Amino acid sequence: MSEKLLEISGLRVHFDTLDGQVEALNSVDLEVNKGQIMGLVGESGCGKSVTSLVTIGLATCEVDEGSVKYEGEELLFRDSESTSQIKEISGYIVVMSVLLSIFGGFWTILIDPIQGRNILLGFALVSSVSWGVGFLFSKESRAHEKFMRWVRGNEISMIFQEPMTALNPLYSVEKQISEVMREHGRLVDPETPTINRIGEALFSPFSLIYRTLAAKPQSSAAFLSVMAFVIIAHRGIGARQGFADEAQSWIWLLMLVVPLMYSISNISRVRHMLTDEMSLEERVAMETSFSGSGFSMDRIDPRTGTVFSEYSHMETDLTAFDLWLRGLNPRVWLFAHRFGVSLQGLPAASAITIVVFLMLWMPFSSLMGMVVISSLLALPVIIGIDFLRLDPAHSRQVQGILEDVRIPNPEAVVKMYPHELSGGMRQRVMIGMMMSCEPKLLIADEPTTALDVTIQAQILKLMMDLRDEKGTSILLITHDLGVIAEMCDDVTVMYAGRVVERAPVEELFANPLHAYTRGLMACTPNIASTRKSILPAIPGQVANPSDFVSGCRFCQRMDRQGSTLTTRPQMIESSPGHWVEACQICLDEEEDKWE
Amino acid sequence: MAEEPLIEIENLRKWFPIKGGFLSQTKKYVRAVDGVSLEIKRGETLGVVGESGCGKTTLGRVLMGLIPITDGSVRYSGEDIRNIPNKEIRRKMQIVFQDPGGSMNPRMSVRSIVGEPLQVNGLMDGVELTQKVSELLDSVGLKNEHMTRYPHEFSGGQKQRIALARALSLDPEFILLDEPTSALDVSVQAQVLNLLESIQKSRDLTFVFISHDLAVVRHISDRVAVMYLGKIVELADADEIYRNPRHAYTKVLISAIPNPDPSSRRDRVPVEGDVPSPVDPPPGCAFGHRLKHPEWERSITMDLSLREVSPGHWVQPCPCCTDDFRDSPEGRSKPPSWVEPEGEKEDRIDPISGAKISERGD
Repeated sequence: MSEKLLEISGLRVHFDTLDGQVEALNSVDLEVNKGQIMGLVGESGCGKSVTSLVTIGLATCEVDEGSVKYEGEELLFRDSESTSQIKEISGYIVVMSVLLSIFGGFWTILIDPIQGRNILLGFALVSSVSWGVGFLFSKESRAHEKFMRWVRGNEISMIFQEPMTALNPLYSVEKQISEVMREHGRLVDPETPTINRIGEALFSPFSLIYRTLAAKPQSSAAFLSVMAFVIIAHRGIGARQGFADEAQSWIWLLMLVVPLMYSISNISRVRHMLTDEMSLEERVAMETSFSGSGFSMDRIDPRTGTVFSEYSHMETDLTAFDLWLRGLNPRVWLFAHRFGVSLQGLPAASAITIVVFLMLWMPFSSLMGMVVISSLLALPVIIGIDFLRLDPAHSRQVQGILEDVRIPNPEAVVKMYPHELSGGMRQRVMIGMMMSCEPKLLIADEPTTALDVTIQAQILKLMMDLRDEKGTSILLITHDLGVIAEMCDDVTVMYAGRVVERAPVEELFANPLHAYTRGLMACTPNIASTRKSILPAIPGQVANPSDFVSGCRFCQRMDRQGSTLTTRPQMIESSPGHWVEACQICLDEEEDKWE
Repeated sequence: MAEEPLIEIENLRKWFPIKGGFLSQTKKYVRAVDGVSLEIKRGETLGVVGESGCGKTTLGRVLMGLIPITDGSVRYSGEDIRNIPNKEIRRKMQIVFQDPGGSMNPRMSVRSIVGEPLQVNGLMDGVELTQKVSELLDSVGLKNEHMTRYPHEFSGGQKQRIALARALSLDPEFILLDEPTSALDVSVQAQVLNLLESIQKSRDLTFVFISHDLAVVRHISDRVAVMYLGKIVELADADEIYRNPRHAYTKVLISAIPNPDPSSRRDRVPVEGDVPSPVDPPPGCAFGHRLKHPEWERSITMDLSLREVSPGHWVQPCPCCTDDFRDSPEGRSKPPSWVEPEGEKEDRIDPISGAKISERGD
């Protein structure tokens, strides 16, 4: 018999709602052994997720009785009767005395200063003393909270159903995973000492300028020459005062220069493509596309040079202006296209013209003032961002984790944000994050429900591999019997807040004892079933939790009458390891009346 | 079988523009549906399967006339759908959406929800309407007393029944079912599937059933179309396509279905990666590209419209994904690059740059 990792016994919880207490779990027993994949299956509302949330102490419900043991340590914490009473009373006293001391403050101002001060001080003393008493008595629960924080992530971690909502959309993947690891102290020592990082960050504005100049020499040169022109126009050369006023009237030249610059860069690009990289056929294709009407370069696949002539009639890549111009005069339009003056430069040209015009129009001193203020505002941000960047050692560590969960190209993925990733990749990132602290138990709450079958197959395989490599136990919560059959060693079937059947997976599928298990299996359509046949569906639906009977709840759904509704059936072990809730009607196969 | 099909789709395209840059220029297009041809016969159920983002929902909406067509045509009993007035289309074609709660006004009672199509079309009112609504509710297995209740008082399965009753209210010939059971539990799903089948039989309806759950599609459909990246890659009778899949993508999909039988845990046909973005789809056969199949480059220059390989079984004839067309002479100018000839090696074309790679000599 292998070692028990998690042992839940007799767990009973309820939610406090406006309609009164609603029972969520009713004496649930569950065990997960080391290295085991335990499946938890049932329909929505049967308490699968509540069980897992109670286990890691995140549930919002009240625990009535039962225990959750992780490697022999109790994870549930309940104050003793007297402690909780004392805490409650001290809470009341604190609230009352704070209110009364406020009253004392008003007394001081309005009626009698000395009396009022005495009242204020007296009640302030009472409130602080009672708060102190409450604090002392909650020492144990605080210690437990600390313990649970350590358990979560280090020992037990959980994958939630929706990978989109579980990841923070504002941080990159790298940052989120490294944050989890820092929280649990799993990061390696940084490569560069802090003092070096501060130095680098202080230097970063200069290096940013250098990098920009090196990366985009053309645009930087254009920018610098425009700035030089503005300064010369204002300040002039030698003794002569600037010629900014005259320059303002010539500024419209930019409207012509900028589109021309665009076209020149386009022409050089086309030449480059024509001469260097392309084969003869592709060059021919390119030429025809240029001279033919309704074609633009974008329709040629740059990798293969194939012309998608089937799209030629759709004219999809043309702007409204292009169409208008072509309608007006096809020759002008063709000329414009052939020389790359695709009118794309026009909006940029007008924007640049306006900005330069404003710069010439403003007094030089106020222009410089604006430049100085903007740089002062930008500097701390640049320095801060550079300082907060992840250390290369940590970055590599995160990449290693992503490699473990088989993410292709992890160097690129670490820099991405969750919205840039597909559903399967997000779920992988989630699994990577959860596995980063190497927990012994992974609770996966419907990890593949939101995914496509092919991605689901990848994720399930990944989880199997993790189990085989690292020996992690998995509690797999799902409603899909197919997933259960493929993945699990043991299965627990839950219905309406109770465990109705528990068995090794082969045994359960070969010999389902409880009517609910049989019903679930029968009503799942599969490839082997007869097409267009009537599926044997379980009639009705799960009863409202407030209407649950104390007896067999599946009998309640099947509208049966009699003693089974009032007396709770016992869990019996029908064969070794196969436990079932022994309601006599539900065990009887003859009584299955599917629709 | 000279019977005229109910819906004919010819070379249908739906591209969504992506705006960006200065003055919202159209930069690129999402090719959601990219050249689909189909015929839907009267009284049949056509299943459409594929991964998310493959364009199955867009295909459904385009053929309902809910969004305009970019290119190609949809003909409803011989008439172009763009020429039929909107009101007439809606009387003949109805839709049931995936999220039953989201498609109902929470402030309307069930009677007004189900009766609204009749009122809008000016067919009935008053007592007559109430009578009709109660008949409709009865036909989907709900009771008369449900008429005065509001959507939030129902469970997911019941809401889906109400949505179905609403779709049935105008007595349509065709219903588009867009993932009607994805949000439901298995036992409720079985109830809804049974209901759909019995309604189809009694009212002689034509269904298009869109789903990503292959087992459900297999159960309810007469024919199944498999979509990948805006194109149909295989179309055949439901039993035939599951027993004898021809396209590699269909094989992958079918092998990825979790099998509820622990004694036969199968080895899956592995496929890496995700569906590529429909913004910049690879040329030729998109799935061959995902598989990095050595034959993929040949599919670029081929005509990839569906071919009939056996009666009623249509498949995209790419050499990379179907065995039937592996040896087709089309697009084959050289022996496949993975076959290493004994003697001299021939030039082959690099699929990325298009340059010829000489394997002769060094």
